Amino acid sequence: MQQLRYIWFIAAKDLKIFTHDRLALAFALLFPFLFVIIFNMLLGSATNNDTRLQLHLVTREQEGLSCQIINALETKDEALLLPGEPVIIWDKDYTAAYNAVENKKLAGFLAFPENFTANITQGKATQLKVITTSDATYIRAALSGLAQHIVSKINSQNIILEATQELLVENPESGDWQQILSSVLADSNAAISTESIITYHVEKIGDMEQENPSNYVIPGYLVMFVFFTAALSAESIVRERQNNTLERLLATTVKRESLLAGIYFGIAAKGLIQILIFWGVGLLVFRIDVGQSPAAIIILSLLMVIMSSAFAVMLATLVKTQRSAGSIAVLTSLVLAPLGGCWWPLFITPRWMQFLAKVTPHGWATTAFNKLMLFGGDFQSVIPEIIALACFALAFGLIAILRFRTSAV
Amino acid sequence: MTEPFLVVNDLHRSFNDYKAVNGVSFTINKGEIFGLLGPNGAGKTTTIRMLSTVLPPDRGDIVIGGYSVRNNTDSIRRLIGVCPQELALYADLSAFDNLMFFGRMEGLSSQEARAQAMSNLEFVGLTDRAKKGRVDKFSGGMKRRVNLAIALMGNPQLLFLDEPTVGIDPQSRNNIYETIEMLRDRGMTILYTTHYMEEADRLCNRIAIMDAGIIIALDTPYNLKSKLGPPEKVNLEDVFLNMTGRSLRD
Repeated sequence: MQQLRYIWFIAAKDLKIFTHDRLALAFALLFPFLFVIIFNMLLGSATNNDTRLQLHLVTREQEGLSCQIINALETKDEALLLPGEPVIIWDKDYTAAYNAVENKKLAGFLAFPENFTANITQGKATQLKVITTSDATYIRAALSGLAQHIVSKINSQNIILEATQELLVENPESGDWQQILSSVLADSNAAISTESIITYHVEKIGDMEQENPSNYVIPGYLVMFVFFTAALSAESIVRERQNNTLERLLATTVKRESLLAGIYFGIAAKGLIQILIFWGVGLLVFRIDVGQSPAAIIILSLLMVIMSSAFAVMLATLVKTQRSAGSIAVLTSLVLAPLGGCWWPLFITPRWMQFLAKVTPHGWATTAFNKLMLFGGDFQSVIPEIIALACFALAFGLIAILRFRTSAV
Repeated sequence: MTEPFLVVNDLHRSFNDYKAVNGVSFTINKGEIFGLLGPNGAGKTTTIRMLSTVLPPDRGDIVIGGYSVRNNTDSIRRLIGVCPQELALYADLSAFDNLMFFGRMEGLSSQEARAQAMSNLEFVGLTDRAKKGRVDKFSGGMKRRVNLAIALMGNPQLLFLDEPTVGIDPQSRNNIYETIEMLRDRGMTILYTTHYMEEADRLCNRIAIMDAGIIIALDTPYNLKSKLGPPEKVNLEDVFLNMTGRSLRD
């Protein structure tokens, strides 16, 4: 009983030191939310619908064929566009559009020349111009494609027109030539419009619900910072060993096992505070969905705390100096976090990276949280991850128990 | 004054092939201040670590207050207080919190620990700084006094003081001397190690000089000085250098 009280005194003392250190407190409890907010914003905007490509058309003619073409192509109602179709905008002022491109306010536009209609009707050469900024690769390609489409259509019309005119010249008695001409042009238009034998049909079935990025950002950073904060505690264990505080405690009636347990629970208590705050803020502020098994979320979080605390004590037993404890704690935390899917969901990474994540406790933890919070997994589905985390905790704990020493000598 | 409180018999301790303590035997009587002197690496700290039960001896026995270290470490730990050479305290806590914590670890109740903490801080002249600020903001001398006050938690009967005046100013050192003298007047038994010979001369009833893991001389300061010449003309440093030599040890 007395030894249990000693364990409590040691853990409470470590917790008191932790709460007195404002910087450590901010690092463990506030700093993670800075990351959560930033990554929520980044990943949140990444999952939004893509904005439609906007293609600007300009003509230098006041009226004529170019105005008719642009008018026909211009988007009148964006809601009627199919997925992937660009928005066509008719810019009336060539100079304003040109200046906008020069000032990088507009990526680019397709321009019809001043004498476009006259040149076309007289069979003279004319030129459509694609004007873009140097870095607007996609806009340039899209405008060039549109220009080619317009040119090929006009050329087809011209060929048909010329052929019809020749026929009429050769057979002047063939009747109302104007009627014939319009009939041929109508047929050619119909022929040109059937460009492909493959057609597709897009059906929109209700609004798609956007995934809340917090559902994978919060568990990821919980895993990272619970481990990070615990690992950094190794530094203070080494400091206590170096300045003989641990040995001094051993000269009281506390047993070595109680001393080790007190240190361990002191680190674990910090982790418990962290997971309480993480899930509390996650549920209340970020509206995360804990899925259908909150019990599994709780068990995984506790295992993460147990495993991280064991790692911290193990690390303290493996290093000699405070500096090396700090360096290794930072290094392992920053390497294992991205490797284990704390910074981005593992399921978007290549297969080899997903395989590599299995070497880290972080990988098992984030996979389990993703299963539960993104893919509707139940308790059964995360049993392998629970076992894996427990094995990591056991391995780290055993090394810590076997190697724990109170003196630097 | 002649009742033995601590008996050390043929103590040995090695680290790998290095024999740190090689057959040390001595007795400390109740209420006595016993000085353990020696150059660096002589084996003083290893001896104190074995006496304070944190390091088991390879061979030999230690009996404190009638209890053997071999089978009664818990009983011994209730009798002893340790003031290590390093500042073994929590720099992020206040002096009072440090004493409270170590008091609770000595098995004191919250009330007992509180009362002893305040009494000990008053004893070392730190009442006004008890709860003001963390210990890492204290001067070196104040930290040393907190280190000593911690060792007094639990009212030990035997106090191990391992170089308690290292690196502090004359005022703080004098304060620690006076504290130790007051403890002696209360009847506390003290084992004292130091590199300051005048300190040992002033405080200790008997002195053991250790070198290379063994005790090479053990007597009163007066008798030790007498071996070299008239005691009033010889100082303890001369005796020490005469016995341990002048070559550097580290």
